[in-house]
Amino acid sequence: MGMEEALQTFFVESHELLQEMEDRLLAIQGLVVDEDRIEAINAIFRAAHTIKGSAGLFGLDGIVEFTHVLESVLDKVRSSQLVMDADMISLFLKCKDHVSLLVGLEESGGVLQGSDQATGQALVAQLSAYLQAPQTNTVHEEKTHPAITYPHLDPLALESAGGGVVDNDNWHISIEFGPDVLRNGMDPLSIFRYLGTMGTIVQVGTFFDRLPGLSEMDPETCYMSYLINFSSEADKTTIESAFEFVQEDCKINILPPHSRIADFVSVIKGLPQHDLRIGEMLVQCGTLTERELAAVLAYQAAQESGQNSTEAGTKQPLGEMVVQAGFVQPAVVEAALQKQSQQKKTKARQQQSIRVDAEKLDMLINLIGELVIAGAGVNIVAQRSGRADMLEAASTLSRLVEEVRDGALNLRMVQIGETFNRFQRVVHDVAKDLGKEIELLISGGDTELDKTVVEKIGDPLTHLVRNSIDHGIETADIRAARGKPAQGKVHLNAYHDSGSIVIEVQDDGGGLNRDKILAKALEKGLVESVHEMSDSDVFQLIFEAGFSTADTVSNISGRGVGMDVVRRNIEALRGNIEIQSKYTVGTTIRIRLPLTLAIIDGFLVRVGQSHYVIPLDMVIECVDLPEENLNSSKGSNYFSLRGEVLPYMRLRDTFEIDGESGRRESVVIVKYGNTRAGLVVDTLLGEFQTVIKPLGKLFERIKGIGGSTILGTGEVALILDIPNLVQQVVRKDHHESSRLQVRH
Amino acid sequence: MSSLVKAEQGTSVAVPQDESQYLTFILGGEMFAIGILNIKEIIEYGHLTEVPMMPAFIRGVINLRGRVVPVIDLRSRFGKPSTEVTKRTCIVIIEVQVAGGAEDEGTTQDIGVVVDSVSEVLEIATQDIEPPPAFGAHIRTDFIQGMGKVNGQFVIILSVENVLSVEEMAALGQGMDVATA
Repeated sequence: MGMEEALQTFFVESHELLQEMEDRLLAIQGLVVDEDRIEAINAIFRAAHTIKGSAGLFGLDGIVEFTHVLESVLDKVRSSQLVMDADMISLFLKCKDHVSLLVGLEESGGVLQGSDQATGQALVAQLSAYLQAPQTNTVHEEKTHPAITYPHLDPLALESAGGGVVDNDNWHISIEFGPDVLRNGMDPLSIFRYLGTMGTIVQVGTFFDRLPGLSEMDPETCYMSYLINFSSEADKTTIESAFEFVQEDCKINILPPHSRIADFVSVIKGLPQHDLRIGEMLVQCGTLTERELAAVLAYQAAQESGQNSTEAGTKQPLGEMVVQAGFVQPAVVEAALQKQSQQKKTKARQQQSIRVDAEKLDMLINLIGELVIAGAGVNIVAQRSGRADMLEAASTLSRLVEEVRDGALNLRMVQIGETFNRFQRVVHDVAKDLGKEIELLISGGDTELDKTVVEKIGDPLTHLVRNSIDHGIETADIRAARGKPAQGKVHLNAYHDSGSIVIEVQDDGGGLNRDKILAKALEKGLVESVHEMSDSDVFQLIFEAGFSTADTVSNISGRGVGMDVVRRNIEALRGNIEIQSKYTVGTTIRIRLPLTLAIIDGFLVRVGQSHYVIPLDMVIECVDLPEENLNSSKGSNYFSLRGEVLPYMRLRDTFEIDGESGRRESVVIVKYGNTRAGLVVDTLLGEFQTVIKPLGKLFERIKGIGGSTILGTGEVALILDIPNLVQQVVRKDHHESSRLQVRH
Repeated sequence: MSSLVKAEQGTSVAVPQDESQYLTFILGGEMFAIGILNIKEIIEYGHLTEVPMMPAFIRGVINLRGRVVPVIDLRSRFGKPSTEVTKRTCIVIIEVQVAGGAEDEGTTQDIGVVVDSVSEVLEIATQDIEPPPAFGAHIRTDFIQGMGKVNGQFVIILSVENVLSVEEMAALGQGMDVATA
């Protein structure tokens, strides 16, 4: 992998890590279980740590400098020296944004702007404030805590286990000789001498705190404890061998020198990608000896069985225990833990995904589009030839092509969950700005839709969510007066419905005030009379440009720009948007979008000489036009379908196609949303998979035609945009009937 | 280039020096010309799919080797009755610059133009091109890039970007509602 590629990977990974960091930060407030909180904090720390480390590799000093401060504060949080409160979360979120910015700048080759630089400095200042705040109490607690859980420890070992004492480049060996050492014929002095052969004993501290008064002292008992500062190139196992004969009844802690930590960490990082237990990993890198591991494991087992009987607490992780026992420095365990989680992650990721250039994917899908058309051509030729074997081969081919097509389209499908999760942040920020308490509920995050659609839906959704928070959710006192909980709810939901995806933004806020909207619409001259307007018609008014009923304009919304943009964006994706709302109860905004923009299953029909494709998911059934409706284009345009009124339109009339309809006419019954309608056509030609060919800019304003496709014969067929087509006819009907009324 | 522009100031003529070859064709008995650099190919008329609810000058779309290309009836575009299809009727495929919006930069689009018959490719020297007359050509002045003198006769050189302005044509297509087209 070249440097450039590695750098690209760094950018991609950094963005992912930052995203994870944000998700975790936002989630952390809702976590009640301590363990989850700790896990989240660790994840946040790891993200910052990894970014810092990788940035260092590439020499991106700006990022390293900033993330270093961030990491230091996070480290304190992680070691419970600081408590993460709402302010700190906000600060961390801002820091995350700043890191994003820095990474983004490196990616685009931009230069840090003055204002951003100031932001960065301000953030560093805020972070540093946390670093300086002395919180000694918690530190103290932490130090005494292990002594209770691990009786094997003495104060001596604890000091070194804390990591603070070890500050030079020597091994630290603490040994508390058992009382029977002398009686067993062992001389501590000889051990020191033996140690001397392996390296230099820099310093020996002797502790007599166990020594009783002279009258009680037994000269044959050993009361001594030593702290040895030992300089040696030998590894831990060798050093341990010096105490081989006394380790039975002595408490020995051998702590490697600081400079070794880096070595251990790099050894751990360099370990092959196997599933290793943390203990094995530590032994392999030489920081833990087999004996120590066995002892700790035995202790862990004992503790576990003891706990089972008392039913208290959970299993203590091995890593924690070896640190507490003073066998290993925390930094080494941290590295080993990281390695372990990395191994798990790479394992998971290998199964999950590979990265593919989006352009390659698009090219493949375009090619498959051509293949689909060519396949349709082969089918036609096969049918014309009338050869059974040819027909069979062709049908096998088209079945395979269909599968390939579905598979290829699936490649483009992504889950909407990630887009939804981004809104945690939006809600958090906006709610904080407005001083409202808001909970964001997310469901249907695993609903899949086309990547292009996902990319383009972000902005309109953001707008809708902001609107819900700002205009929808009432202030706390109004909510209380209306008998609602103080905390407002915004619900994002997605699901599949008859070939389209539906995205809902729902809030339990004040709802739309029909009268207020109408009054405003009259004032603006958008409507002429307020009579006979259905609720949904009234609510559609808020999508008009420049329409706002907000009494006050906030910096979040209320200027009346936006909703029209939202509607335009949605319509550009061949979708539509509808509103359901109840005053004082809440609002639901429903966006309906096509699943994919590239290929659809169509139903081919013919009117006169022209072919049209109706999206198959909208077709419910096909029936013959009842006798009495034949050739009665002037009469009423509805008939009874099993007792229900079904309005229909004649495509021949709607599209002004020349020629007379044949003796038989068929009706294709389509449904979208809650609307059903019939389309009268000359001939039904059956199902047909089609590649959507955009009609281009020239036809971009056409309503009722969604695109085009090329048939096997090479002829171009138009794809009908049913919702728009029906709307057009409804509007025209409305127009004509109102004209008639005027005339009377 | 600057000297050229200066010399022709006050007229709407701005013919790049290299564009001296023109394709001439007949439309309703009159001869027109289009700069050859914009022309991609000339194909036989046929297999046209009509698009409903569009103004009359948009004849429909054709399948050009897998791409869907709109076809314009130039006579209708000039506000005259549309052309009868004969054996010699052709579609000239022309590449048009589409001025993009804020997001996408300008792209090109292929547009087909129906002509009664194509004649030949002519070289017209820059000095043989006169500015368009203020009136009398029976078509909009901004459609005319210049009047080329060929064998003592005038040929109307069309301004492709104005005649086939996608923005303008799309705007004309707007408001064409169901059954009012």
